[in-house]
Amino acid sequence: MESAIIEKWPGRTYELTIGATKEEGGSRSKKVKLGGTSTLPFLFFEGTIPNPPAIAMEVWDVEPTDWPDVLKNEYGDVLTDPATWAKKCEEFGCDLICLRLKSADPDLKNSSADEITKTVKNVLSATTLPLIIVGCGNNEKDSSIIMSISEAAKGENCLLGVATKENYKTFTAAALSGGHSIIAETPLDINLEKQLNILITDMGFSSDRLVIHPSTGGLGYGFEYCYTIIERTRLAALSGDKMMSQPIITFVGQETWKAKECKSDETEKPEWGPLKERGVLWETTTSVGYIQAGSDIVVVNHPTTVKEIKNYIQKLMLK
Amino acid sequence: MSCKIKFLPSDKEIIVTEGTDLLSAAMMVGIQIYNSCGGEGVCGRCKVKIVKGEIFTDEKEKNDEYVLACRTVCKADMEVFVPEESRVERAEILIKGKEIYTPAEPTDITPAVFEEKFFKVSPLSTKLHLRLPKPSFDDTVADLERIFREIKKSETAGPVMQMGLANIKKLPSLLRAANFNITVTLGNRNGTMELVMVEPGDTSDKNFGIAVDIGTTTVVAYLVNLIPPPSGQKILSAKAMYNPQVSFGEDVITRIIHAGDLSGLDRLHHTVVDAINDLIISLIIENKISLNDVNCVVCAGNTTMIHLLLKVDPSNIRRSPYIPVANLFPVIRAAEAGIKINPRGLLSCLPCVSSYVGGDITAGVLASGMSNFSQLTLFIDLGTNGEVVLGNKDFLVCCSTSAGPCFEGGGLKCGIRAQTGAIENFGIIDDKISIKTIGNTLPRGICGAGIISIVAELFTKGIIDKSGDFVSGSSKHLKKTDEGYEFFITGNISITHADIKNFIHSKGAIFSGIEVLIKKMGIDFHQISRIIIAGGLGNALDIEKSIILGLLPDLPKEKFSFIGNGSITGCKMCLLSNSAMKKAEDIAQKMTYIDLSTDNEFMNSYTASLFLPHTNSDMFPSIKTRETAAKKKSAKQTQKNI
Repeated sequence: MESAIIEKWPGRTYELTIGATKEEGGSRSKKVKLGGTSTLPFLFFEGTIPNPPAIAMEVWDVEPTDWPDVLKNEYGDVLTDPATWAKKCEEFGCDLICLRLKSADPDLKNSSADEITKTVKNVLSATTLPLIIVGCGNNEKDSSIIMSISEAAKGENCLLGVATKENYKTFTAAALSGGHSIIAETPLDINLEKQLNILITDMGFSSDRLVIHPSTGGLGYGFEYCYTIIERTRLAALSGDKMMSQPIITFVGQETWKAKECKSDETEKPEWGPLKERGVLWETTTSVGYIQAGSDIVVVNHPTTVKEIKNYIQKLMLK
Repeated sequence: MSCKIKFLPSDKEIIVTEGTDLLSAAMMVGIQIYNSCGGEGVCGRCKVKIVKGEIFTDEKEKNDEYVLACRTVCKADMEVFVPEESRVERAEILIKGKEIYTPAEPTDITPAVFEEKFFKVSPLSTKLHLRLPKPSFDDTVADLERIFREIKKSETAGPVMQMGLANIKKLPSLLRAANFNITVTLGNRNGTMELVMVEPGDTSDKNFGIAVDIGTTTVVAYLVNLIPPPSGQKILSAKAMYNPQVSFGEDVITRIIHAGDLSGLDRLHHTVVDAINDLIISLIIENKISLNDVNCVVCAGNTTMIHLLLKVDPSNIRRSPYIPVANLFPVIRAAEAGIKINPRGLLSCLPCVSSYVGGDITAGVLASGMSNFSQLTLFIDLGTNGEVVLGNKDFLVCCSTSAGPCFEGGGLKCGIRAQTGAIENFGIIDDKISIKTIGNTLPRGICGAGIISIVAELFTKGIIDKSGDFVSGSSKHLKKTDEGYEFFITGNISITHADIKNFIHSKGAIFSGIEVLIKKMGIDFHQISRIIIAGGLGNALDIEKSIILGLLPDLPKEKFSFIGNGSITGCKMCLLSNSAMKKAEDIAQKMTYIDLSTDNEFMNSYTASLFLPHTNSDMFPSIKTRETAAKKKSAKQTQKNI
């Protein structure tokens, strides 16, 4: 056998559970556990990796008009109803549902907190998978509805997102009152990442209830920057930095399906090959890359991607 | 076509060509208007009000009655009002001996100790009173050689190597009129001795020199008596003023750019020379001495300031690979640079290290004495350019970071220089504010020491959080204005959110400079024996508060000492001793410059330090313990809010 130097890390990432079963006061049929790893991704000979990376699929509360047909067609007519859409995702085999409350966006439907609450409740009763719930992306609006979202999902132990430097105070207060975890998002900088984690935990939020979103870059659109940041975050965690030891999430789907490589059809770019395969390939490759870097959750859109990376994770998890 | 512009309230008028912008017109007529971008229309500080005449401006977001002077041109006669906040007041500020630059906390390193111990008395200019034997048939030596023969007999002076023809021409009549009783002034010029001047009678008790620190933001001058101790070798008085070049931009880069404009170099040169001449004049008037008895000037300043002083093109300083015209300028006649002292008086500048580490740092290191001992010392200059030097008698490494004018009270809404009325200490207990100003007068603004005191207090009392954001509802003095949150210290003196961010960037630049330098040398903070801080930020730098804010490394308080303006102290030492000047040259040559702009580590270290005290709180263990208490309070607050 070849000789190898075994690296012993003093640190370990926090283990985080998303979802609560009936006994725990929720209504989920299963829970998803993340993190808890004491080595770099998939280096089983150096440490333990108790939980495989998880796959989440997005469900929107408004029909995504920007999505290319190759993606929309996979869902058929469920795109107008978040509850049935969530059910469909469950069938596709993902581990978590990522509910995106896009309709709250003041530039779209500007849905009220009441409407949002209704959607959250509907989705919760339609699926038994654990939930990631993210706002519309408008800081002000998200701050105004996050308390209602948290209340609507109280006891379900969801993952709420996304908290930024601008809105973390309301997010933290909301997550504390509803008993949820938080996604903390920063723009591609390990120092800013750590700073936001410190600010959130300074409010009395437990550091093991956070998930880091270091920003996601699509393949060809800044992927390598994110890859490095994830790698550095993980190295810091393993070196014992508790403020960087949280699981990491990447939103691969949202970055993939806006890339021209996944949208331009064959008449426009015949040399790029069939559009049908391109998008899936793009999303799968990006996901696989982030999983290799150390992403604990990947959020994707295409059912084939789910199948492909599930298969891939299974192989990686073989010791 | 030309137009007449009248500036109010100074009531100055100028006739300019149509299309001239108001900023240029104001400068031509000698009105200094603030402007930190060099007339690019970016900084928004040169606001003026048009009282009469039509407005022609290309300003895009004009939303009040004011226009930007640099973006507004004249097309007809007009009257312009320059509001107080746009004026750079040339009011010079008396700093009464060393009072302002002496820390309230006593320090062991007084430069005087050093001078006595290491440097012999040998001023740049010395005077010798000579009673020449009168010529006779037994002693037929010529007039000039007669003087040289007498000088040689004196122990203090070496052989005279230079002398101007003008002096020689004067000799026959001067010697005989004075009955061969004369005083010669000897100047130390680049390692050789020059006979600078011959005067009738005994004037050897009248020999004065000027030490000048030319800072980017502030110019300070000392009048020093050069005659030997016990009566001499003393600072008679000190004066300081803003560097009026501020009106051409707040930092050196903007000024270098301005120097590239048509006659820009000329303007910058004259501005600073005028300032120095003003300071000298007021010093000699106050001490009732004659300009003729001021025989030498020693200047220290960053490399750009020295170039501008000597009217030497500084443009390559900002162009890669950043080469100055000279680091060590030879001793010249002060008159050549336009400095008005004795017409034959000398000007010497302290040697610079590189484009971005100047003679002010050489002077500071000299004054600190760090290069005389084997203890590992860290020298930090809190100026507009923050320089950090690490070393001892065996080695010196340095780097320069762009800290901004914040430590000198610049760039803040209510910032002022360390002068009478500047808030230097601030406390808040149960939301009740207490302040202390320099001179215990009514508060006029906030100086560098004050901003440190204020931010530290707001931070420890939970009014700002670790990222420097105001915590809403944390104090009744906190008000939301157009510029975001603002904390009111008095009715009209406030600190804004932008001020705090500004400060955090400044302290981050300094700390990351320190950190990178330490890492580069492969040492640990604890191996540093002494930390010497220099800078004109006020009477007293609160070390503890500086550590709380992550400006200075978390080391035992007794390791720190504050020496005030080290540049002027070093300058004065060189004025009084040629061997100090030699030492300064040695320091400049020995110093290794590390360029942070090409350093990968620096950017990372910088963003990590833009937090209070630092993103890696492990580096500040003594703060960590306090923090836990603050954290509990904050968590309680959250609970309450829910």
